Amino acid sequence: MDWNILSWLIWLPILGSAVIILIPREKADTIKFVAAVATGIQLLVAIVLWTKFDSSTVGFQFQEKVSWISSLNVHYSLGIDGLSLPMALLTALLSFLCIFVSWKIEKAIKGYFALFLLLDAGMMGVFLSLDFFLFYIFWEVVLLPMFFLIGMWGGSQREYAAIKFFLYTLAGSVLMFIAILALYFACGRTFDMIEIMAIAPTALAGKLWWGFESLKVIWILFFIAFAIKVPIFPFHTWLPLAHVEAPTAVSVILAGVLLKMGTYGILRISYPMLPDGAVWFAGALAVLAMINIIWGALCALAQTDLKKMVAYSSINHMGFVMLGMSAVVAAGAKNGTNLIAAEAGLNGAVLQMFNHGIITAMLFILVGVIYDRAHHRNIDGFGGLGVRMPIYTGIVALAFFAGLGLPGLSGFIGEAMCLIGAFPVYRGIVIVSVFGILLNAAYFLWAFQRIFLGKLNEKYADLPEINRREIFTLVPLAVLVIFLGIYPTPVLDVMKTTLSHLIEIVQSSSLLALQ
Amino acid sequence: MDLSLYFTRQDLWGILPEIVLLVGALIILSIELFARSQRAAMLGVGILSLVIAGGFASKNFGSSFILFQGMVTLNDYSTFFDLLYMTAGIVTMVISYNYLERKGGETRGEYFALILFATMGMMLMTRGNDLVIIFLGMELLSLSLYVLVGFLRHDVFSNESAIKYLLLGAFATGFFLFGAVLVYGTTGTTNFQHIASAITNNEILSDTLLSLGIGLLLVGFAFKVALVPFHMWSPDVYQGAPTSVTAFLCTAPKAAGFGALLKVFLVAFPALHADWQDLLWALALLTMIVGNISALVQTNVKRMLAFSSVTHAGYLCIGILVLNEMGVSAILFYLLVYSVMNLGAFGIISLLEKEEKGVNFKDYEGLASKHPWLSASLALFMLSLAGFPPTAGFVAKYTLFSSAISEGYIWLIIIAILNTLVSVYYYVRLIVNMYMRTSEETLVPFLHPLLSVVIFILAISIMFFGVLPGWLIDTVTQAARIYT
Amino acid sequence: MISDYIPILVVFILAAGFAFAILALSHILGPRVKNSVKLSPYESGVDLVGKTRVRISIRYFLIALLFIIFDIEIVFLFPWAVVFKDFLSFGWTIFIEMAVFLFILGFGFLYVWKKGALEWE
Repeated sequence: MDWNILSWLIWLPILGSAVIILIPREKADTIKFVAAVATGIQLLVAIVLWTKFDSSTVGFQFQEKVSWISSLNVHYSLGIDGLSLPMALLTALLSFLCIFVSWKIEKAIKGYFALFLLLDAGMMGVFLSLDFFLFYIFWEVVLLPMFFLIGMWGGSQREYAAIKFFLYTLAGSVLMFIAILALYFACGRTFDMIEIMAIAPTALAGKLWWGFESLKVIWILFFIAFAIKVPIFPFHTWLPLAHVEAPTAVSVILAGVLLKMGTYGILRISYPMLPDGAVWFAGALAVLAMINIIWGALCALAQTDLKKMVAYSSINHMGFVMLGMSAVVAAGAKNGTNLIAAEAGLNGAVLQMFNHGIITAMLFILVGVIYDRAHHRNIDGFGGLGVRMPIYTGIVALAFFAGLGLPGLSGFIGEAMCLIGAFPVYRGIVIVSVFGILLNAAYFLWAFQRIFLGKLNEKYADLPEINRREIFTLVPLAVLVIFLGIYPTPVLDVMKTTLSHLIEIVQSSSLLALQ
Repeated sequence: MDLSLYFTRQDLWGILPEIVLLVGALIILSIELFARSQRAAMLGVGILSLVIAGGFASKNFGSSFILFQGMVTLNDYSTFFDLLYMTAGIVTMVISYNYLERKGGETRGEYFALILFATMGMMLMTRGNDLVIIFLGMELLSLSLYVLVGFLRHDVFSNESAIKYLLLGAFATGFFLFGAVLVYGTTGTTNFQHIASAITNNEILSDTLLSLGIGLLLVGFAFKVALVPFHMWSPDVYQGAPTSVTAFLCTAPKAAGFGALLKVFLVAFPALHADWQDLLWALALLTMIVGNISALVQTNVKRMLAFSSVTHAGYLCIGILVLNEMGVSAILFYLLVYSVMNLGAFGIISLLEKEEKGVNFKDYEGLASKHPWLSASLALFMLSLAGFPPTAGFVAKYTLFSSAISEGYIWLIIIAILNTLVSVYYYVRLIVNMYMRTSEETLVPFLHPLLSVVIFILAISIMFFGVLPGWLIDTVTQAARIYT
Repeated sequence: MISDYIPILVVFILAAGFAFAILALSHILGPRVKNSVKLSPYESGVDLVGKTRVRISIRYFLIALLFIIFDIEIVFLFPWAVVFKDFLSFGWTIFIEMAVFLFILGFGFLYVWKKGALEWE
């Protein structure tokens, strides 16, 4: 790995951002061009990475490790495995497409694209870093451009939405930082995540802090931090607001990638470092997942704002991811060593993370398309658009069906695997959650009917059809939705080895042994 | 009788930076006397003398001397502070360019001379190894600052703040002097090492009086660096003083106060650390919380920054509590970063200020669209003050807090981290005003190339020390090693 | 150790006691006469002219301050003059030192003069 492929993934957008800052603000086209080139090359690099990735080995590949701040024992340490690879590809893909989604941005173009590329770099850094210090810095770097992007280019309530998003997520990351410090001091003063994964389970065993088991304290701190990001009920209130106010491309990134940072964090940090905590908390996680599914779906059903509906559908879909994650306890002797269920759950969770990133990106882009034309998002304010915009209607139908989990489209496989995995352990919860899918179908179809079917609303008799640029942003996603719906193996293959190893780690937890 | 016993050539070489500053100040005053209109020349001489003095001071780096029979010590610790003061002095002089004129006053030669005198005073405070020298430096500093704070003679607020500062500063000096007297009375010496050995050998007259003396010294310092409940003067003074002076006032003298406080406690009273840690613990806690909550409700940016600097003093107190090499180096790092951030923030405010406008949060609405670079720099300083990665403010907070955790002050640090979270709100409020609101008329900054370059350098160094802090951490660790 | 300071305390108490005793004695023993002549500020018979609270020009204070500053510096010159000859054998350092001191002092004087602090009008 002489050519530091992972560093390129992170530093390309930063380089692009720096170039954009140097371009005079009048040259809007050059700025967009530079942004597109930077993310385009990043996407190519990510695809090359995907082809070079060896999915049969456990552990991190393409590792880079350089001493960064030697006096603080901080390293610039990157690596990728089957868990982070799909996320990295998702980030690169959505960032590239979002540059075109934001093509029509008019206000302060230079700042917008510079911040957007910075956001891209931050997300990529979160998924690739293997040093807690670096991880935390990237985690915060994501927060800042997002804050500005919502606050400066958002809708009418943007200021409130941006501050709420900022303070909420910052509170989460501060808790995370406390947890990182706790791990740092408990594990012999190292920030190296691989090292901590090896040491933490034994280092923390039996340690009591103020009468609580240390690993539970750390687990809770991490969990709240990640729960705010996912977001898990009851920490979800910032999400609909931020989504409604954010510009389309930012919503896409927010739902498509940022939410995954939460579940990624749980799988990357909480599970391998605190396997006992994972087992201890699995039941609660499953219950929270169920609440997310049902609550998200019910809220979506009640919305009149199309974008808010899609935002709540994200809460619902992330619930399935968590349900799949909780299935990992099926691997324990106590639960009949049901390795297949655990694998199905965990693989389903990561697959669902990837799929939801694509589906929700489609949904938000589509909402943006209609908003750009009609300048409102009120579901009841449309009607009969199917006649006027057949192509648009077709793509929306595909996205909606993928969202409600129609078999044959990618949404179905992830959700099904999550439910299958969790079923042996949390039967009741799974049964209740299945009703969530029903509710999903209800709000998606109902919204579809109100917007596209029936009599054409005369107000929109001359609404222009979706244009080529917009189709260009949607087609790759649509192709992926169909392809992964029929043949998900490529993605599943990449993550399988890593996740099996993760299951082994959790399996080793003493709490899972039959006693 | 051998004269060299009392006064050696080495002593003279040691105080060469002070001599340079003195000569520079005299030259400035001469220009003021004979060619009053030559402002640029005065500024030039002021900066030049600071640069030359800095050059002489930095030559000492790596070696250590004891001068004037133990009255003054020169080592990496004092040199670090010397350079910090000089940097702050240079930046202050640059941002003062034309500032007083914009506020309806006049930049006279005394202004620059007083900054040089104040720098000399601060240097004595951290070079001093004797309570008398510390007192001397403190007085030289304070007297210069009283005049600087009231330099806008026709401005009521400036006068008010000068009087307030004078009165409360005199109190603080009184406390300090009384404390020093009691320490001298009980140990029979004012030299730090002798005090320390008197305490360890238990040759003290009275434990009660010594404790009282140390307590009074602490109160004196607490006044100077504005720890709650001795912070009452700082918001009024910071707000009323000319902004260029506030930039100086809240950075270098605060660093000097902490530097001297640290030295007194590290060298003279290390044996009594256990007795004083509860008091310092409470001071740190109170200072953080009160400073933070007060800053939340301010509408004036200068006042907000004043309370924020109170909060930062609270964080720094934690470092004194730690009192080992890690803690001291963390304090040095923090002081430097803190100074750079505040110089930058106040510098930008001073550029934007015009008559009555430019100091309220509301005035900053819509600034970003008109002046993106200036707003970006101010936003960067705010984020760094809030301790946001990857700025230097984050590394500073991290080193300070982790040094305290490794000494077991876990609850204090958890409270400090939560305080940091609260503080984000008021720093971000300024950013929100600049970036997310629009206004019909925005502030028009006074932009001189020299000023832009200085602000730019400050902003770059905040980023640089945030991303690559290694070199600076090594430097401060070396500087901290002397006394631990 | 602290007992060494007892004589000082004794002196302190004696001094305070003496002052108090004298005041008390004159209060108790002194005859009291109250008439307008007795209560006037100058018992010798000079009549008052105007109020006692006269506003004094600020310049007096300035002059007084300057006088004190420059006057006190003289104090340093005396011991210097006494030991000057003995120290001269070690070189000119002692002369240069005082020359620097007087230069700074002279500069201060020049500054004050040029700034017009010595002018009355």
